[in-house]
Amino acid sequence: MSEPVIEPEIMRISWGPQHPMSGQTRIIIDTDGEVIHKIIADIGFTHRGIEKVLENRTFLKGIVPIERMVMVDTANIGLGYVTAIEKAFEIDVPERAQWIRSLICEMSRINSHLYAFGLQAESTGYFPAVFLWTTVDREVILDLFEKLTGARWSFNFFIPGGVVKDLPDGFQKEVLEAVKYLRSRFEQYWDAMVENALFEMRCKGVGVLTKNDAIRLGATGPVLRGSDVDIDVRKDQPYAAYGDLDFKVITETEGDVMARTKVRYHEIGQSLNIMEQVANEIPAGPVRVNFPLFPRSKVGEAFSRVETSRGELGIHMVTDGGMNPYRVKINSPTLRNVHVFERLAELDRILVADLPVVINSIDPWYLDCDR
Amino acid sequence: MPEAVEEQIIESMASKHPNIFGDARILSHKQISVRVRREDLINAALYLRDSLGFTHPISAGGIDWLKENRMEVIYYLLNPENRVLLMLRIDLPRDHPRLSSMTGVWEAFNFHEREAREMFGIEFEGHPNPVNLLLPPDWRGGFPLRKDFKGEGVRT
Amino acid sequence: MMNPYSLILSLFMLLETKVSILPSASLVQTGISHLKASLNFSPLDFIWSFLTVNAKPLIQILVIPGLAFILVFAIIAVWFERKFLARAMLRVGPYYCGRKAGVLQLFADFLKLFFKEIIIPVDAERILFLLMPILLPTIPSLTIILIPFASDWILFRAGSLSLPIFFAIAGLAPLIPIFSGWASNNKYTIIGGFRAAFLYISAEIPLVICAAAVAIMAGSFDLVGIVERQKNIWFAIPQILGFLIFFIGLIIEAERTPFDVPTAEVELVLGWRTEYSGILFGFTMMAEYCNFLGWSLLLITLYLGGYNGPDLFGNSLYSSMFWILMKLAILVSIVILLRTVFPRFRMDQTLRLGWHYLTPLSVLNLFIVLALKTWGYPL
Repeated sequence: MSEPVIEPEIMRISWGPQHPMSGQTRIIIDTDGEVIHKIIADIGFTHRGIEKVLENRTFLKGIVPIERMVMVDTANIGLGYVTAIEKAFEIDVPERAQWIRSLICEMSRINSHLYAFGLQAESTGYFPAVFLWTTVDREVILDLFEKLTGARWSFNFFIPGGVVKDLPDGFQKEVLEAVKYLRSRFEQYWDAMVENALFEMRCKGVGVLTKNDAIRLGATGPVLRGSDVDIDVRKDQPYAAYGDLDFKVITETEGDVMARTKVRYHEIGQSLNIMEQVANEIPAGPVRVNFPLFPRSKVGEAFSRVETSRGELGIHMVTDGGMNPYRVKINSPTLRNVHVFERLAELDRILVADLPVVINSIDPWYLDCDR
Repeated sequence: MPEAVEEQIIESMASKHPNIFGDARILSHKQISVRVRREDLINAALYLRDSLGFTHPISAGGIDWLKENRMEVIYYLLNPENRVLLMLRIDLPRDHPRLSSMTGVWEAFNFHEREAREMFGIEFEGHPNPVNLLLPPDWRGGFPLRKDFKGEGVRT
Repeated sequence: MMNPYSLILSLFMLLETKVSILPSASLVQTGISHLKASLNFSPLDFIWSFLTVNAKPLIQILVIPGLAFILVFAIIAVWFERKFLARAMLRVGPYYCGRKAGVLQLFADFLKLFFKEIIIPVDAERILFLLMPILLPTIPSLTIILIPFASDWILFRAGSLSLPIFFAIAGLAPLIPIFSGWASNNKYTIIGGFRAAFLYISAEIPLVICAAAVAIMAGSFDLVGIVERQKNIWFAIPQILGFLIFFIGLIIEAERTPFDVPTAEVELVLGWRTEYSGILFGFTMMAEYCNFLGWSLLLITLYLGGYNGPDLFGNSLYSSMFWILMKLAILVSIVILLRTVFPRFRMDQTLRLGWHYLTPLSVLNLFIVLALKTWGYPL
């Protein structure tokens, strides 16, 4: 990153990569006292070349590295890749497998949103109590994952043509119990976070992104929906079983940090509803169709879109008839949101103290951003 | 008729600017692909943004067609009204790929064009900040996502 | 029989001979004879007689308002904070050091800090950088010596100057973050240092006005006098407004959680303490608790009746100590409790609180006290 010229009154601070709250990135801020004039996001510290890695692996082997993109939300990322393969090979997935996929994706979304929720609390200077609560509650989800897939995260459970295995006995009942427990916990989060006057002081009116700017700058996920744009791939282009499931797209009008927090909060509620629906109404049938171990692809392309917890993930897979994909372009959600964050300093007045609050409101996952 | 919106868009593109938009086809439900020439890019982009409502930029990236000796840049756009996704493709010669930057039309392509620049060596004319995004600033190892990249590391 | 002071006396006399232009022979003679007498003294006797004469100040320095008290307070407060917050966070907290409850964890931490390397940044102002953390615990410790722990148990009896001296010493506190932030030569420390200075000043003015109101009500600047006037009713009751302002100001001054903006971890790493490592960091952490202790004791003295309380042990000294320590324990627990439920204020919000709300309200409190005084309260 080249260093532009700094004006004499401006202090340039490098926020990260070694900082308690920055994550694996460097954010360069130009401040005049407490007011930030300019934000430059210097990403790329965790660039692993996943797109190149996928070109050199067979279709099935690619599932493993791509799930490493977002460890806390592996199911949605894996589903995007698997759906792209299915589109490229024109495979029809059995209905029960689609429902199981939706169930796991929503559990993964709850897991990820809980993590984001805890970090949002910590970034406002909450002593990490809320973060630890969410961590404890994530255990419920992770235990379900372990029971179902054998791994707590990065479970590579989705394969082209379905899922690896069927739900174990009594799993639906455990899902319902987990939903009941999480619902009771969420009232406490509402009190501790949204209803807390001090939390509101820190988050209301901070980092405002208007509807126009959100569309123009290409925001996605809860950031976009917090600015009153109801774009959600689950509704627009239903994949998995989302066409049959009943849920709402959550939007908030304010466009500030509080709105994004509320969107996440209500989305967890919707995900719990979906979990309940799937557990009650899942159809019977097979859970996978056969997919060859070393398939030959056709010449062509497939583009799959999924709604991950951070926003829309697009996987554009170009195939040339070989055993490996010719090119996999990953449209990562965090890259788009980080760009929005970089521009927020021009759109709204951000103080140094607001910086962690605002950056955590976009829920950045830099491994996703750098790929 | 599920694909009415897509066909309408393709029709309006073909009727309004028949010379600019070529190879327009529907990939799948609510996904359109269209190809333009490098010279017509800015006109096409302005028409797409202002008249057809593709105001929501998603991503941009490249594909290296080594055997055909060409390079392809794809801009992914979304219409926030009818939620149609459009792939705007531009073919470039492989030996000196360059095109005018789309950041003047959609600012959000800033990061994606920087990434395509460092990964494929595609030059975006008029880009406000043409520096490396993901690779180190002193990277000399070539263009990693090109098909003839050998992965020899940094040569200084 | 030798006098333990004879050595000192003889030295003084010899000095006298040097100073005077014409030394008298007799004075020299006396001095020499004293010196001779002091040659066969035993050090044990000297120490014993020194102790018997100075027993009370020594205990005061070493034990109760002094060294041991501050250290034990820091240990218990840190232990309680860690253990309690761990419960709030669904954790266990310190566990292995000491028996079961981890009471010795702080000793372990300090031992570790002692043996860690002290890293001094290349560009740092070495002397100031090293001096500041050592100076840091002394300022709050100096304020503690003015607090009466019983009617006759004060380390430094400043009489009617004790309240002004307290604020004079405490007023030095903003200098240390500024100097250490500047000496570290780091952007985070500079921002943190100036934040601390802004914060202290915005909190100190309401605190001073509130203390002045208390002094007016008591009719004395003497802390002992203020406590003695609260025999019947604590000043927290007529001056509930002043008490609340002082309580908030205490949290600001002690950099406790809703107002710990100078060391805001998520923004400024550790604020002005960022560059300190090893035992210097330990000093800064200890200073935080010293500061907290000093202001809490002042709050108790001014508003909560100080050492007053019913006589429990048939000994006024013991019961006074018991009551002031009891009040301290409750106050400290409440302040630590606040940490679980509040996010941090922003810098501008803290300053707005200080200047827009606390200062005018403290002036209002002063007027209320003046009115009460005019109408003849307390009689």
